[in-house]
Amino acid sequence: MDVSDLRKNAKLQIDGHPYVVVDFQFVKPGKGQGLYKCKIKNMITGSVLDRTWRSGEKLEAANVESRKMQYLFSTGEAFAFMDNQTYEQVELAADLIGDDARFLLDNLECDVLFFNDRPVGVSLPSHIVVEVIEAEPGVKADNATGMTKGATVSTGYNLQVPLFIKVGERIKIDTRTGDYIERVNN
Amino acid sequence: MRRAAPLGWPERVDLWDRALAVVRAHFRGEGLREVSTPVRVAHVALEPYIEPIAAPPGLLATSPELAMKRLLCRGSGSIFQIAHVFRRAEIGARHSEEFHLIEWYRVEAALAEGRRDVEALVAAVIEVAGGEGPRRWESHGILDVVDETLGVRLRGDEEAGVLAELAAARGLPLVAVGLDDHDLEVRRLAAWTAFLSEWSDRHLDPWLLARAERGIHLGDFPPALAALAELVEVGDGPRVAARFESFVGGVELANGYQELRDAGDQRRRFVAVAGLRRALGLPPLALDQAFLGDLEGRGLPRAAGVALGLDRLLMLAVGASSLADISLALGAPGHPADGA
Repeated sequence: MDVSDLRKNAKLQIDGHPYVVVDFQFVKPGKGQGLYKCKIKNMITGSVLDRTWRSGEKLEAANVESRKMQYLFSTGEAFAFMDNQTYEQVELAADLIGDDARFLLDNLECDVLFFNDRPVGVSLPSHIVVEVIEAEPGVKADNATGMTKGATVSTGYNLQVPLFIKVGERIKIDTRTGDYIERVNN
Repeated sequence: MRRAAPLGWPERVDLWDRALAVVRAHFRGEGLREVSTPVRVAHVALEPYIEPIAAPPGLLATSPELAMKRLLCRGSGSIFQIAHVFRRAEIGARHSEEFHLIEWYRVEAALAEGRRDVEALVAAVIEVAGGEGPRRWESHGILDVVDETLGVRLRGDEEAGVLAELAAARGLPLVAVGLDDHDLEVRRLAAWTAFLSEWSDRHLDPWLLARAERGIHLGDFPPALAALAELVEVGDGPRVAARFESFVGGVELANGYQELRDAGDQRRRFVAVAGLRRALGLPPLALDQAFLGDLEGRGLPRAAGVALGLDRLLMLAVGASSLADISLALGAPGHPADGA
């Protein structure tokens, strides 16, 4: 692709990594060369960097696609996902999942990112609903104070929850911050 | 410049109506006649980094320059135009693939008259928009500003290798285009274009912003960047291009030439641009032989010509930061979207 094809959300391949353009500014002095000032995000690691390209430079478009897949199971070293339409299964190494592993509920529907037809990452729904399997006993009188206590949910993740949350209840968690959002009734 | 809330549609219509009227009043008052040349043309002036948009069997005009000069060659006298022009893949807060260029030619005039027109137009348009214009205007030689910002005195006739070394020493990234087997003119054009583009981004922009309350004309360009301007003697140094660019609030608004009249020189410059375009892998563009024929046969009268971006001037006049804030384009392709 040519630099003049750069746009917000364009996907590029640099040094073997897929990047998405998250911010884009075009400047051009009069009869001079155009500068395409971009902020690009590594689609695997999420790291963001500044890059400037100049008129006439060539870029490599990244062959990336995102597919809806269901989480099946983990072997510890890898995590298996299945495409519900084709029943195709893929495995992602644990280091590509990283901290997201703590939110992988059985059968959770995720977006699996493919780069050159290879699965390279997962993006989770922005929140999940999980069951509390362990919680310190609460003190009823402290409900209004905003105090919290430790709890563990069915995926094994530990977090702080309000004192009124009890074992067996279901709660909603923000997967971007890992924070408790609310109690979910029934 | 004042900061303003986004303009509503009736206010935008009013702004354009007032601006178009005041531009016409200025030139009519100065005795120039208004022309309107075709938007779809057979050829455009060759520039290294200005890409036309195809409109078979022709191209959308990137500037009305060649068409207006052919009228000058036919005795039009001093003329002006408010032209729709198109430049492919130029979209940003200050760029739109389609924009309005006010272009004018004063026959038998010196370049200084073009600068005075720019100052008068800027003041008049900003006044009818209710904004605050530059308090005063200054003229600087572009190589003087290079000296001031980089601490190096360039003559303007340096070869590609010298500029590459200087750029490397000053941390200016120059795109290496494999030009070693191209001729001297092509290499010089490539090097000066790249050098001043990078310098402009890193050094000129901050220099201009530090003088945002003034209007700035930069003149005396290196000969390699003369484009369609004449070369003139200044003192006992090498010749310089009789060309200026004007800036208000750090924004480039206008570009003026003492027009080149020598058909041979003009052809050589177009051929150098064609060579650079080839080296850069850009689509080939044919030379406008009819225009060159007019320069040669009929002759271009001595003239000063200037082009000024009306959309940018309106953006400055109302204190907006994007062309999208003043544009009347509703969903037309190639215009910056809100927030661009």
